Amino acid sequence: MAASFASRCSRVGRSLMDGLRNNFPNLPSTSRETICGSFLYQQQRTFIQMRTVLKVVDNSGAKKVMCIQPLKGKKGARLGDTIIASVKEAMPNGKVKKGKVVYGVVVRAAMQRGRCDGSEVKFDDNAVVLVDKQGQPIGTRVFGPVPHELRQKKHVKILTLAEHIA
Amino acid sequence: MGASRKRITEQHRLEYKFLTLIEEWMYKVWTELCRFSGAKIYPGKGIRFVRSDSQVFLFSNSKCKRYFHNRLKPSKLTWTAMYRKQHKKDIAQEAVRKRRRTTKKPYSRSIVGATLEVIQKKRSEKPEVRDAAREAALREIKERIKKTKDEKKAKKAEVVAKQQKTQGKGNVPKGGAPKGPKLGGGGGKR
Repeated sequence: MAASFASRCSRVGRSLMDGLRNNFPNLPSTSRETICGSFLYQQQRTFIQMRTVLKVVDNSGAKKVMCIQPLKGKKGARLGDTIIASVKEAMPNGKVKKGKVVYGVVVRAAMQRGRCDGSEVKFDDNAVVLVDKQGQPIGTRVFGPVPHELRQKKHVKILTLAEHIA
Repeated sequence: MGASRKRITEQHRLEYKFLTLIEEWMYKVWTELCRFSGAKIYPGKGIRFVRSDSQVFLFSNSKCKRYFHNRLKPSKLTWTAMYRKQHKKDIAQEAVRKRRRTTKKPYSRSIVGATLEVIQKKRSEKPEVRDAAREAALREIKERIKKTKDEKKAKKAEVVAKQQKTQGKGNVPKGGAPKGPKLGGGGGKR
């Protein structure tokens, strides 16, 4: 619990930076407008963009991955989008090595995503599953919860590998 | 809302575990309960937070969500359902249903093998009658056993006697008809 509290404090600092850096994302969505007022009380969650470090939640070998470019999206990637990323941290013997440029599908995003029934989903962290150019996952297992927005994006394989669909 | 209703293709039918999710994708028609305050969340409202350990939390508004993330306890906030439950507010108004103990009445019905009349007759038999019947049955069984035993004994004695006779004449196989060689032996002797 203490650890999570500490991380939340650091997140506040980071969110301030993020907020200062991108003013544009605040405008379009109404839900984030209300948050905009109370900076320190609620954390500003924005898109996954260049230099965003994401956790890798499959067994492809990589551990941490940094986003280079979101495919499709001027402001950034959201839940269910694909990104191009560079592997920053990898397991010693894995399919993917450090420094490799890979594609990934965002399976968990701290930024809330509207569901088709009007509610919103948000996850605890930013996580990605590495895929190849065709969209097939490189790894054979996916850890943690996964949203069923992926079905709309035709990432059915990831859904079948997932242990929990939120 | 921009919901692109997905056509339920053959692939979806095969993937059984996603079938219920498809129904959920169609308009949600039920209200859920807020995990924090206990309020009803109507369709289109609320925030769903999925924690890394796959636990899903539903919040009715950002107030509840904020309090949750700031780790406030709902049981300490007067306006939440949890607090009210803990401090037993509004319980007097609720109708207290007494749980009546259902007495099991012995119900008789006919079964295969014994119609209702047979069951009732058996039930109404006096113990002496039952004893007498039991003894009679036992006696019958004993007699039957005795009879079979006697029969077996007699048979055995017969066989043994025959064996002795045949052995006295000579080594004749018991399996074959003993009468044949005897006669032949008798004929030969003459």
